[in-house]
Amino acid sequence: MRLLTEPFQLEFMRRALLATIIVGIVAPVVGTWVVLRRMANLGDAMAHGTLAGVGVAYAAGFNVVLGALGAGVVMAVLLLALSANRRLGSEALIAVLGTAGFAAGVLIISRLDSGVELSHFLFGQLLTVGWGDLAVNAALGAGAIVVIAVLFHELRMATFDHVHAEQSGVHVELVHGVLIALLAVVVVISLRTVGTILSVTMLVTPPATARLFTRTLRAMTGWAVALGVAEGVAGLILSYHLSGGAAPAATIALVAAGVFAVAFVLTLPRRQPHHHRPLA
Amino acid sequence: MGIDLDNVGAVSEPAVLQVEDLGVAYGHRQILSGVTFRAAPGELIGVIGPNGAGKSTLFKAICGLVNHTGTVTVNGVHCHDRTERMDLAYIAQRNDSDLAFPITAGELVLTGRRRFSAWYRRPTPDDRDAACHALAEVGLAGVADRGLLELSGGQLQRVYLARALAQEATVVLLDEALSGVDQPTTAEMFELFAQLAGRGTTLLVATHDLAMARRRFGRCLAINGTLRADGTPDAVLAADVLDATFGTAGHAPAH
Repeated sequence: MRLLTEPFQLEFMRRALLATIIVGIVAPVVGTWVVLRRMANLGDAMAHGTLAGVGVAYAAGFNVVLGALGAGVVMAVLLLALSANRRLGSEALIAVLGTAGFAAGVLIISRLDSGVELSHFLFGQLLTVGWGDLAVNAALGAGAIVVIAVLFHELRMATFDHVHAEQSGVHVELVHGVLIALLAVVVVISLRTVGTILSVTMLVTPPATARLFTRTLRAMTGWAVALGVAEGVAGLILSYHLSGGAAPAATIALVAAGVFAVAFVLTLPRRQPHHHRPLA
Repeated sequence: MGIDLDNVGAVSEPAVLQVEDLGVAYGHRQILSGVTFRAAPGELIGVIGPNGAGKSTLFKAICGLVNHTGTVTVNGVHCHDRTERMDLAYIAQRNDSDLAFPITAGELVLTGRRRFSAWYRRPTPDDRDAACHALAEVGLAGVADRGLLELSGGQLQRVYLARALAQEATVVLLDEALSGVDQPTTAEMFELFAQLAGRGTTLLVATHDLAMARRRFGRCLAINGTLRADGTPDAVLAADVLDATFGTAGHAPAH
């Protein structure tokens, strides 16, 4: 018990805990839809690409969170506008945009400093999160969850059967655009905590794990959030004891991947008998 | 234009579905051209033709899912503005849907009610009643809480039919709904089709099973690139028409 509570005697660890919990709730809620719509690659590219906005904001002395949000919106618009290209499809385009934004960010930031700041943006600076960051993250996160809750039925229809959804009056493209915008929000929330690169961990791994053993959307979302929070907190505590708080984001990512691996193996027998369904 | 056969029923009654000179091209490839027919309320029509003949394309064009030339009207209103399209229910080939998606049969049927609502509204108790009622009508009241992988092929088709009922569609298009479904299920499906037709719903069922078409439909459309024939099964399935439709007289493609 002491091992669990000891790290949080320190105020910066308490702030880190709160930041982790916020990401652990919000990212899996959005990520459930990212996984179901098979957009994990897009999430990854979004996380990398926003570094361009961070770099520009950093160089210009703006708020880096706003810079990331701006880059996320630009990425979203470009992706939506260009993904109609049938020869490439959206997949290659996603990779091109993501790596280009990432490269631009690296270039700008490394021209300005020795590399300390760069690694902070890439891997987060969980232990230096301030109360102001927390307030911004909580507000953005709450907004994202409200949007998902309101659009729940639209998202489900657009994801399961977009043809029927469109015929029924669901604005399928708009729903897709909103989800991409929410992706940008998650990346921004993750910026100061797990960093841009590992934000994909919280976005994809807990929902992907929950997908293995749940049957309904509500259960999948609920389990994804429970896993996201538990893995985040466990990773944070583990990193405190293992390395005195170094690399908490990487520890969280490995814990999440470990839980996924265990769930994957445990659910293997259930998924195996994939023979023909019985006739009526 | 195709071979003109006796146009059963469709001429005198008011048409619920009217297709005029419909054509579809994918790039430079013309898939369909000059398709013209009318369907009356309560008609059960078989749409026959070999694989790749354009049956699915015809259905998609009618629903406005692909670009096309010519016109489609439903209940006399020019189609393809959002509200009118919802009077059509399109049930795609069953391998098109992601059966592992976390949605229950009841929730799937409930999505049929979306057209009566707005994006920010949750389904009302009335919507839920309508969905339950629709599931009961297709004889599946007991499976509302099952996932799609837990349903048989025939049950899944009936769940989609229940969604069309919940949607209160006046025209239902079923694309190869009966391939890979066993005999008793096929019989049940046709009983359901007859019930729906009796209430004034128009059904178009695409199939490449000619034996079934001959036994089960009052009217058949033969499609291959265009409308080759339109009339009673006996007339449409006559050797010379089949030759025009399938290329080889009397030879149904193996499935």
